[in-house]
Amino acid sequence: MTTAVTSSDRRRWRGPKFALAIPSIIWYLLFFVIPILFIVVYSFGTKDASKLLPVDLGKLTTDNYSEVFDETFFKTFKSTLRIAIVATLLCLAIGLPVAYFAAFKVSEKWRATILALVVIPSFTSFLIRTVSWRIPLAPNGEFSRWLSDLGIVGDRGIQLLETQMAVQIAIVYNYLGFMILPLFVALDRIDVRMREASKDLGAGRIATFFGVTLPLAGPGIVAGVLLTFIPMCGDYVTATVLGGAKGNMIGSMIASQFSQAQNWPLGSAMAILMIGAVLLALTVGALVVWIVPWLLRVAQPVTQAVRRSMHARTTARVRHERVEQSRRFDGMKLSMGAWAVLVLLFMFIPIALVFRHSFNGGSSFSIWSGETSVKWWGELFDGGVAWAMLIRFFVITAGALLLRRVLNKVGVGSKRLLNWLGALGFIAAFVVNGLLTDWYREIFDFTGIGDAIRNSFVAAFGATVIAVVLGGLSGVALARRPGVWTKIFMAIVFLILVTPEVMDAIALVTWFQRVQDVPVLGYLFQNGIGPFSGGMHKLWVGQSLYASAVVTLIVRARLAGLDESLEEAAADLGATPARAFRQITLPLISAALIASGLLSFTLCLDNAVISTLVSEAGSTTFPVALLGATKSTIKPFWGVGAVMLFAMTMAALAFVAVVLRRSGESSSDIAATLAGG
Amino acid sequence: MTTNDKIPQLRMLAPESFHEKLTRRAIFKMGSAAAGLALVVAACGGDDNGSSAPDDSPLASGDWSRVINAASGTLAMYTWGDYNDPLLVGEQAEDAIGVSMKVDYFNSNEDLIIKLATSGGNSGFDIVVPTGPYIPQMIEKGLIQKFDTSLIPNMVNVDPAYLAQAWDPNNEYSVCKNWGTTGFMWDSTVITKDLATWQDFFDACMNEASGNCSVIDTGPNVWGAWCWANGKDWNGTDAADLDACEAFLVDELAQHIKKFDSYPSTAIAEGAYALSMAWNGDARQAYFRIAEAGGDPTVWKWALGTPTTELWMDNYCIAAGAPNAEAAHAWINWDLIPEISIQDLAYHGYHTGMKEMPTLISELAPDLEFGDMIFFDESQVATMSTQEITSAIDRQVDIINKMKAKAGA
Repeated sequence: MTTAVTSSDRRRWRGPKFALAIPSIIWYLLFFVIPILFIVVYSFGTKDASKLLPVDLGKLTTDNYSEVFDETFFKTFKSTLRIAIVATLLCLAIGLPVAYFAAFKVSEKWRATILALVVIPSFTSFLIRTVSWRIPLAPNGEFSRWLSDLGIVGDRGIQLLETQMAVQIAIVYNYLGFMILPLFVALDRIDVRMREASKDLGAGRIATFFGVTLPLAGPGIVAGVLLTFIPMCGDYVTATVLGGAKGNMIGSMIASQFSQAQNWPLGSAMAILMIGAVLLALTVGALVVWIVPWLLRVAQPVTQAVRRSMHARTTARVRHERVEQSRRFDGMKLSMGAWAVLVLLFMFIPIALVFRHSFNGGSSFSIWSGETSVKWWGELFDGGVAWAMLIRFFVITAGALLLRRVLNKVGVGSKRLLNWLGALGFIAAFVVNGLLTDWYREIFDFTGIGDAIRNSFVAAFGATVIAVVLGGLSGVALARRPGVWTKIFMAIVFLILVTPEVMDAIALVTWFQRVQDVPVLGYLFQNGIGPFSGGMHKLWVGQSLYASAVVTLIVRARLAGLDESLEEAAADLGATPARAFRQITLPLISAALIASGLLSFTLCLDNAVISTLVSEAGSTTFPVALLGATKSTIKPFWGVGAVMLFAMTMAALAFVAVVLRRSGESSSDIAATLAGG
Repeated sequence: MTTNDKIPQLRMLAPESFHEKLTRRAIFKMGSAAAGLALVVAACGGDDNGSSAPDDSPLASGDWSRVINAASGTLAMYTWGDYNDPLLVGEQAEDAIGVSMKVDYFNSNEDLIIKLATSGGNSGFDIVVPTGPYIPQMIEKGLIQKFDTSLIPNMVNVDPAYLAQAWDPNNEYSVCKNWGTTGFMWDSTVITKDLATWQDFFDACMNEASGNCSVIDTGPNVWGAWCWANGKDWNGTDAADLDACEAFLVDELAQHIKKFDSYPSTAIAEGAYALSMAWNGDARQAYFRIAEAGGDPTVWKWALGTPTTELWMDNYCIAAGAPNAEAAHAWINWDLIPEISIQDLAYHGYHTGMKEMPTLISELAPDLEFGDMIFFDESQVATMSTQEITSAIDRQVDIINKMKAKAGA
């Protein structure tokens, strides 16, 4: 920041620089730093299963750490890192052509379609998508039998289920979208003229790609790697559902220390070393990223000389070559297009399977009985009520839209009101249908799933609001009021991102118990406030941690790229800091807030690990209930529930999209912000 | 065995609205025997003679207590996976006693204990289902509360053989939900020889079924199997035995294990295993699932592990701080009505401990398949013993922990 900014800072604001980040600082201190410190302390304790919390802090020891380095446990560390690194590289290799294709080879309209198709799968429950990988991988399944009939695999079918390979495949699948999006955004931002200039200067397609496109896409690659590698390292669900003993990953090993093995000290030591390992891997990765361009730069004079001489020889043929290139170009475009189609199919296979298996006539989700049936839909829904509700909904919304048309024609009513009429009708339909109260009890026969879906929405919505408020404020503070505090704050944010979820979960669970007798906090988490139970408050806290860290980063990145002159101008014109914030800063970051809000909503909706540990009987969410069910047989009605959840999420998103269009936000702007600023 | 001195009691404590609660939906959906029961109870008052039922659903003959206490609100249960007929923890319970139920699942007794312990009486669960030997520590840690036994009069329906167990001699905290045992099943096209003993199981696991073998994901079942195979007392605390157990499980067996899977039936049908240790009820489910997946169930063989194996008993308890203890009592009591109990048995395939079981089955569930995987004769039961929590428990848990890490390496 320039000195001019600092001086105007002083004029506008006299408080500490981190004032806007104070809510986040309090939040992180209360629900991350202090609870995690307890885990750090536990890691030096000894196991004592006779206690309520099975840790004895009487004699402190470092034995737990040496035990982790024992070969038995350490091998799981190594295999986890290997799976995550291989999967990250695979995601990059698979995703880059798709992102490249979407950014450079298709029209605006197709670009949006491809992006939507990449994003949509992540709105289906993460857990059910993982479970549905059991279907094509099952040795006795249709796919396996088909391959076996063709003689591609042996008589016993595909032998992948419950192996490390199954985890590897599913983990690539699960995180691919998080790689493609940031890659696309980075590529999309590259000025086409740069690439053209490179070609005009005689560089071939490959040289242009490696010399111009790839370096410019660097930030996107870094963002994609961070967004995939870190959560992969802590992934617990994929290994638990598909991995068997051999595909065990560190996340599930840590989780089992805290539950079955009742060895909290060992689990704490593992979790801390896990964080260390992730940081180490990222450091090594950063070094590589830093060294490669440096090596290139060192070698630059040589390459330039080579290039110059080549150029001299080929100048005469440049025109000719470019014509030839554009002819070959089609073949390239075609193969990339085919690849993109294949990748999108890959992303939609599990979703198609979830849909089909919700109509499974059999008794188990993953085993196709050969008979299509709506019985599990009937099991889940009270048909009469659900249909009546749908019809009411449709009639009211359609009525509102019709009214708008008519009024528009007649020219009655303000433009503003008319614009919002559709949305108002949608809301009216919600209210009339009782959708804000006990609707889920009405339409769902099987109240467990209805409650779970409702709790998922309430939890994700609440956590998202917290995350957007906290992350938005601290993001602004980080970008506009940097100082010594920035480094400490960013370190905490980064720690939140790399801490295995299960460690957060245990830290929070024990912390919630510790604050039981603290006046306000204790009441909050024991009794809850208003209609929300204490369990729901715990979910909000637990889910908001990771989400708010993500929002912070996105908002900060967004503002860092925007000039502060507008805010300064406002201040010069006499606007108070509050007013300048409301009228200048807020509109500037609204796209970032909406984008990061959507992202955190999706993350919270899928949250299984923290939610499982902190939830109580009354606040079970869909992933928590489903994770419980994965312990034995998953009935097809979980597929029905997942399809419902998906449909409702899409409806909510469509609603948001309509509102945004009315309020003039650009959706491409939002998509861009979503994936890395 | 029977307690004929009890006078058959049948009181109708449900309010009038109970009759209205028997909706069209309820009658439609509960095609089963016990569905009719609610109707019979409502319609016939004190008559417990099955022949007077308006439809064909029978009532068991004999002296039974069928008290139904009404309750309200929601009732949350924390139990093992897929462990009750969904109707009994769903609509049927709502119609019969007026509570709407929520069920969550845990994977091991330790999971249950941690969940209750870390929530400090705020877990929100009413009914929890621990295995017998874990009950004393749960009482000691204050995780479960005493029953009001006057609210569970149907306890007289339980066979005295399954009451007054060592872990709760007066049934003040717990009552038998059901009991089961442990054996194994194998694909006879992969393992062609016949298996009978636990030693056979380990041998096959390390040879023909290497890499395609699953064991149950709870410690006692795995270290227990080693003891049963080697003629050791699985409740022994001898250090040398524990060392030998660790050496075998961690260094020899672990590498051959495909998965620690407490409910292998689905994965068996999917074709993931050739040999699986399993609880009898889940092994029984596997036969249905294999058929559903288009496989051939007859190639799968089941054996109760010999020379000895376990007898485990899971129990209904009420969590300390249960938000709806009244409903918890009402539901547990309702579940102890013979018709309800047999309906549940027919679903999960475990002996529910009702007295006069043979009569009940012949009258209420004559078509029950694979009955020999649910009911065991005296000579078989004689080979079963119950786990005790001893001073070796920490070591035993650590052995399994190491074994699991080693299996993944």
